[in-house]
Amino acid sequence: MFPTPIEKRTRGWQIGYQAMLPVVLIAWLLPLLAVMLFSIKPEADFVSGNYWSLPSNLDGFNNYYKVFFESDMPKYMWNSIRITVPTVIGCMILSSMTGFALGVYRFRANLWIFFMFVAGNFVPFQILMIPVRDLTLDIGLYNTVQGLVLFHIAFQTGFCTLFMRNFIRALPFELIEAARVEGIAEWRIFWYVVLPLMKPALAAMAVLIFTFIWNDYFWAVVLTQGSEAQPVTAGITSFNAQFRAAYHLMSAGSIVAALPPVAMFFLMQKHFIAGLTLGAVK
Amino acid sequence: MHSIIKTSFAAIVAAGITATAAHADAHALSGDLVIFSDMSNPAPRAVMEGMVERFGKMHPDLNIELTVIDREAYKTQIRNFLTADAPDVANWYAANRMLPYVNAGLFEDVSDIWEGEMSTELASTKGAMTIDGKQYGVPYTYYQWGVYYRKDLMEQYGLSEPTTWAEEKANCQTYLDNGIKCYTIGTKFLWTAGGWFDYLNMRTNGYDYHAALTNGEAAWDSAETRATFANWRELIDMGAFIDNHQTYSWQEAMPFMVNGEAASYLMGNFAVAAFREGGLDDSKLDFYQFPEITAGIAKGEDAPTDTFHIPSGATNKANAKAFLEFVVSADNQTLINNGENLGQLPVNALSAVDDDKFLNEGFDMLSNKAPGGIAQFFDRDAPAEMAAVAMEGFQEFMLFPDNLDDILARLDAAAVDIYAE
Repeated sequence: MFPTPIEKRTRGWQIGYQAMLPVVLIAWLLPLLAVMLFSIKPEADFVSGNYWSLPSNLDGFNNYYKVFFESDMPKYMWNSIRITVPTVIGCMILSSMTGFALGVYRFRANLWIFFMFVAGNFVPFQILMIPVRDLTLDIGLYNTVQGLVLFHIAFQTGFCTLFMRNFIRALPFELIEAARVEGIAEWRIFWYVVLPLMKPALAAMAVLIFTFIWNDYFWAVVLTQGSEAQPVTAGITSFNAQFRAAYHLMSAGSIVAALPPVAMFFLMQKHFIAGLTLGAVK
Repeated sequence: MHSIIKTSFAAIVAAGITATAAHADAHALSGDLVIFSDMSNPAPRAVMEGMVERFGKMHPDLNIELTVIDREAYKTQIRNFLTADAPDVANWYAANRMLPYVNAGLFEDVSDIWEGEMSTELASTKGAMTIDGKQYGVPYTYYQWGVYYRKDLMEQYGLSEPTTWAEEKANCQTYLDNGIKCYTIGTKFLWTAGGWFDYLNMRTNGYDYHAALTNGEAAWDSAETRATFANWRELIDMGAFIDNHQTYSWQEAMPFMVNGEAASYLMGNFAVAAFREGGLDDSKLDFYQFPEITAGIAKGEDAPTDTFHIPSGATNKANAKAFLEFVVSADNQTLINNGENLGQLPVNALSAVDDDKFLNEGFDMLSNKAPGGIAQFFDRDAPAEMAAVAMEGFQEFMLFPDNLDDILARLDAAAVDIYAE
């Protein structure tokens, strides 16, 4: 089932492994390294075809200055925050409640409602593109941050409910029964007994949803336009002029745009890995 | 009842006052003006917002509502909003690109704006805005196409700017003998090959034939078109174009010229900014008009023109016309097309052009040296579907010139369906 650990292999295997590892690693990271290199290259290097050499001068660091002070980038970053944070909070609130209801109460339609939440995850979201766009247009939410937030909450709640419900199911049910015996109201059980126990799951989920939503490009392009509402993933292309692609500014912008999820990952690494495995083993 | 009469009386008086005021002073517009624009890239967007701001200052009582839509998305949305929820002013393109909307009665005839002086001031683009003798919009900017070349290389080999096809080929042979390609080009996105076809066809058969061909009034498999391709093939057989051009975008083809591996580039004036960025200053970079091929044919030029129109469904047409007049006024044209804004050519002949070698030469060329007519570029002159098929054919021809019979047959077959609609 599992491959033999490399320490237990013969010396030949180990050397082969050690030799291949850096090669594969570099190949794997090459696109990322290219973006990093491009982000500090002056535009002149692109016009003269010096794609892979070292930057011809240090003007390239101006790219970052331009990204921060001479473009709409800060606006796009702020939009991303305005979209991502409410979505994460909204999903946490909704899914902890739906998860509690589906995980604790036994009623007839329980399983069917749960299936509906799960089934939503299996709908390829691309096929919803046109109806959702028309819907947001009709209710006046097209090109607004609220429109994106509402849509993301609606769509992510399915996955979050699955996540939360399974976690709550795994909690010792005796805790809830004990509380009931004491005659505590159901909402107080939710608030004082279950919610504190869900903290690790909520933290893990928040990290996951944050990265999902921050990196969303598809809905950002479908539901918004222009710097009033568009998040940074879609805004990066605004560096392009009508005729020319500004590779250097797009690269610098991409690095800046990627920092928050990367920072989130390193700060919350423990939760992130917990989040990936939580749903898997239950 | 009393109050209703009173209010309507007041309204009539007010209307009378505004009407007289409007006659006395063109600056007294009021009401609404809804503008949909596709100028979504940063610099054009700033230009559009600037125009609205200045027009708003001239008419403080006018309530202007500007919606800027992504330039690509706009191309599909325009069909929708022109019929459903028409703005008062909308951006679009000249010539064949506006033809379907004019034929469908969706663009307003604005010939009265063109009456008198305007026709002379905007003479270079009048043809592109005219359908059946009427004008359906106004231009706000355009830019020239031509051959941008390495001046230092030309001087090094003792050559001069060619004016005829024979000179062009002789120059090219000299470059090739010295291990330099004559032309860089990147045909990955096809349209660059469309530019070559435009010029070769306009110089071989003339502007009128070219217009007929892109309008579907002439067959692709004809002696005229074959002559164009034969001229093209002369260059291809010489090896004049860089190798593997199908793998480059137009930008990625620039380094060949910047590094001196290719001598020239048939391109639009927007390439100049990038060349300068790459270190080609005015001592190394120059420009000439595409040379004559068939002697005696009036030269036509490519100059893609961006425009403003009034949809027939607009509700505030008087305000819209005033805005269009403001857009084409010489002062506004000078301002929005200068180096800090669009960096292109003003369409009004009375406008001033930035003191820039290429803008000056281009302005002069389009105003005085293009008697044949101004074309809009292949993918704007031909319908979109036809342009896509044809430009694929051009790219194939540049790589496999022997496939010409196949390509022409394919284009004629496609044309039957596309122009029948």
